[in-house]
Amino acid sequence: MENIIFEIHNLDLYYGKFQALKNISLNIEKNKVTALIGPSGCGKSTFLRSLNRMNDLIDTCNIEGDVLYNSENVYNQKYDVINLRSKVGMVFQKPNPFPMSIYDNIAYGPRCQGVKDKKTLDTIVEKSLKSAALFDEVRNRLKESAMGLSGGQQQRLCIARAIAMEPEVILMDEPTSALDPIATLKIEELMNELKKEYTIVIVTHSMQQAARISDVTAFFLMGELIEVDETNKIFTQPKIKETEDYITGRFG
Amino acid sequence: MSNKRKRMDTLYRWMTYVASSIAVIVLSMIFIFVFKNGISLLNWDLIVNDYHAQFYNGGLPETVTFGTTVAPEDLDSNVYYSEKWGLALEDDLDREGNPMITVAFITADSPLHNINDKNNIDNEEFELNIGNVVTSIKFNDKPSALTVQGAENMIASLDASNDFREIVFSSLGGGIRGSLITTLYLIGITLALALPLGIFTAIYLNEFSKQNKITNLLRSMIEVLTGVPSIVFGLMGLAVFVPLTVRFTPADSANILSGSLTLAVILLPIIIRSTEESLKVVPDDFRNASLALGANNTQTTFKIVLPSALPGILTATLLAIGRIIGESAALIFAIGTAVKDDISIFGKSTSLAVHIWSLMTDEPANIELASTIALIILMIVLILNISVKLISKRFIRRFE
Repeated sequence: MENIIFEIHNLDLYYGKFQALKNISLNIEKNKVTALIGPSGCGKSTFLRSLNRMNDLIDTCNIEGDVLYNSENVYNQKYDVINLRSKVGMVFQKPNPFPMSIYDNIAYGPRCQGVKDKKTLDTIVEKSLKSAALFDEVRNRLKESAMGLSGGQQQRLCIARAIAMEPEVILMDEPTSALDPIATLKIEELMNELKKEYTIVIVTHSMQQAARISDVTAFFLMGELIEVDETNKIFTQPKIKETEDYITGRFG
Repeated sequence: MSNKRKRMDTLYRWMTYVASSIAVIVLSMIFIFVFKNGISLLNWDLIVNDYHAQFYNGGLPETVTFGTTVAPEDLDSNVYYSEKWGLALEDDLDREGNPMITVAFITADSPLHNINDKNNIDNEEFELNIGNVVTSIKFNDKPSALTVQGAENMIASLDASNDFREIVFSSLGGGIRGSLITTLYLIGITLALALPLGIFTAIYLNEFSKQNKITNLLRSMIEVLTGVPSIVFGLMGLAVFVPLTVRFTPADSANILSGSLTLAVILLPIIIRSTEESLKVVPDDFRNASLALGANNTQTTFKIVLPSALPGILTATLLAIGRIIGESAALIFAIGTAVKDDISIFGKSTSLAVHIWSLMTDEPANIELASTIALIILMIVLILNISVKLISKRFIRRFE
């Protein structure tokens, strides 16, 4: 159990009357890349967002079951959601830097936690940008608006922004779906670097991407977790027929 | 079919041309009217002068040394000069279009530099200045010289008489300094009251409150309030704010403060609505990103959402200022219609718009001066408009 960072037991999730997740049980291992695949609307993004309680923002959303993060149930009434989100970072589908300078974007998270010392912030910004392989490109324009960066750079900035909080887990919701192939490649390389230090959970529509970067793959269908296994096993010898059909492109 | 289609298309296209031309013509006619009537009176003096003229009676000491400066050669045809008195008077028209006589210049050796204030002997700074309006000059040995007889007669009387009694003169009245200052006070106080209240209400409605029946009811009530005629708010100001301010401040009747409070109530729904609109267009991406970074709702709202909504809020502020400058109906009740020169927050006064109303209800109505004030209002609004555009442009350039 040492290596398990997230334990999900019998998770049911409803949007109003619609059941989006059905009885999901899954363990997510530390310092590995877990890919969630499946056709659109299968609940993989919903599942991802339930890990850092971003579903709380949707009024009609109702959750039953347990999500244990480091053996603590995050849906416990007393659980500190701010603390959870600062330990479980998130990168979204569309690059969404704040309309402020590159520096302020990275420093935003630490500042919200009360870090004020300029030198500490400088160090955090530089370290995060270096970890996100962006520092060399923006070294001379840290004070310029982040909106002036290209899409790929913006997405790496968002990753750097998440890293600045020194999280344990980074959740990525189709981080490359709005990017061109070269920018995608850079992000994938970055993920390979990041998995040494962080646990990564990624939702992706690209089977090749899942195969290239992930250690474990989970296949979702219609709100159910169909199969989860090591990536090379899923892609070479899936045990369940639906998984095979999806991977070989027979539907979805 | 295709021919019919073509005709219909042409018809529709022409309808847009005609409609926009009519709109442009009507709007420019308003501008032209205001400009044509108002431009003649527009000058700096009008803006800095008092509305009520101050009258003075100037007497001379026992011994008088007369001047010897010869008349300059380039005198205008309507300027008359007395060498003995070193005084040049000019026939002119005042702001109501009535004839008046003003002081064109006074020579350095004029005996009139020694005049004293008959009503206030201690007044050391008492002086006849260029631009002062001379109402009459009175003598002990002959009839007074009056305005209606013209400047030429006045100068001739001066030269002919040896027994000068007094000169009655006044500052040029009809200025709008008081109303202008009142308008600035109104803008300042009203915005200080309404902006924070409106913006924070909008933030509560859009960011913090749950979307339920109560907030929806609140929203539709605010919407209804935006459509209420301002004179209704004026009545409320008279019934509520005037007594309140009289009770709790040194004021003893309608005053600038009660006017500002009334205006703040008028503006509140407008500010709430437009702030809410500009908060709504801030993408949820920003909110999600901020929350996912461990920021709480308050931090997200004040550090991310509010700055992004700032250009919209600035526009709302501009609209609010425009409304303050332009509002007259409510203010007639809430701050009164008496044009004042000494402005106090707790005293009666008029804004520029009410000043126009007050001029037009005079007998006879002074359309020229009203148009000039309208022109000044238009210019203030234009300047505000441009400056707010520049400010929000700077914001947008910084962020996008």
